[in-house]
Amino acid sequence: MIGLLAAIEQWPLSIWMREDPYAYFVALIFHAFGMALLVGAGIVISLRVLGVGKGPDLHRLRGFVAVMWVGAVLAIVSGLLLLSAYPAKALTNPVFAVKLASLLAAALLVRSMAATTLSAAPRDPQPSARSRVLAALALALWLIGVAAGKLLLHTYTVLTVS
Amino acid sequence: MPTDPIFDPAAIQQWANDLGIAAFMQSPWGWPLVEVFHFIGLCLLFGAVGMFDLRMLGVARGVSLRQLHRLIPFGVAGFATSVFTGFLFVVTAPDQYLYNPALQTKLALMGLAGVNMVMFYATAARRVSATGPDDLPPMRARLFAVVSLACWLGVIACGRVITAFRPPWNWCLWC
Repeated sequence: MIGLLAAIEQWPLSIWMREDPYAYFVALIFHAFGMALLVGAGIVISLRVLGVGKGPDLHRLRGFVAVMWVGAVLAIVSGLLLLSAYPAKALTNPVFAVKLASLLAAALLVRSMAATTLSAAPRDPQPSARSRVLAALALALWLIGVAAGKLLLHTYTVLTVS
Repeated sequence: MPTDPIFDPAAIQQWANDLGIAAFMQSPWGWPLVEVFHFIGLCLLFGAVGMFDLRMLGVARGVSLRQLHRLIPFGVAGFATSVFTGFLFVVTAPDQYLYNPALQTKLALMGLAGVNMVMFYATAARRVSATGPDDLPPMRARLFAVVSLACWLGVIACGRVITAFRPPWNWCLWC
C-alpha cells in the first residue's frame, strides 16, 4: 500500500503539483470553490425540504442539483490533483474516509430527495416527516464532511516524500 | 522598522494572552476547532447568499426569490460565525494577519460585498421580491448579484492563500 502511494508521488504530475509555486494553491482555491457550490446548493435544498421557507416552488429546487454537479466536478478534479501531490497524507488518514463518506452520503440523500420529495412537491408541497428527517440528516452530513475536510490538515500521520 | 499608526500587534497579542484566547487557540484542539466553525460559517453564508445570487442570475428558475430569501438568516448566522472565528485567528497571531496581503484583500472584498449589499437592499430588493418565480429580476439586481458572487468567491480564494504569505513589516500599507 505505502509502496504504491510512494510510487504515485513520483509521477511527473505529482512532482509538478508539489514543486510549482502556484499549482498547489490554485488547486486549493478551486477545491474551495467546488465545495462552496456543492455544499452551498446542498444546504439550500436540505433546509428548504426541512421546512425553511415553505412555498409552492419547492419542486423547482431541483434546479440547484445542477449547481451541485458543477461543484462536485470542480471539487473532485481539484481534489484528485491535491491527492496526487501527497497521496499518503490523505489516504492513510481515517478522517479522509469520514469526509468522503459524509459528502457522498449527503449528495446521495439530496439526489434521492430530488427524485422523491421534490418530484412529488407540485401535488404535495408539504414534505413528509420522513423527508424532513432525511433532510436534517443530509444537512448534518454536509457539515460533518466540511469539518472532516478541515481537520485533514491537523490529523495526518504519514506524509512521506523526502 | 516602520511604526504602525493604527494597530499595535504586540498589544493585541498581549490582550489575547490575558483573556486566555491565545492559550485556547494554541491548545491541540483550539485552532482546528475554530477552523471547522470558520468553514461551516462560510458554507452557510455561501449557501444562502451565493444561491440567492445564482437564482437572480437565472439558475434554478422556478424557485421563488421571495422564498429563497427566507434562508438569508442562515447566511447571516454563518457570516457572524466566520467573523467571530476569524477574529480569534487574527488576535492570536496579529503580525501574521494584519500585514498579510491575502487578508488585506479579503477584508477589502468583504467591505465591497457589504456596500453592494446595502445598495441592493436600498435600490433593488423591493423589485426583486416582486419578481415571479419563473422570471429574471431587473438588470440592476443581476449586477448586484454578479458583484456579490465575485466578492464572496474572492473572499474564499484569498482566505485559502493566507498561509502562502509570511508577512514582513513592509506589507503594512498604512505604515
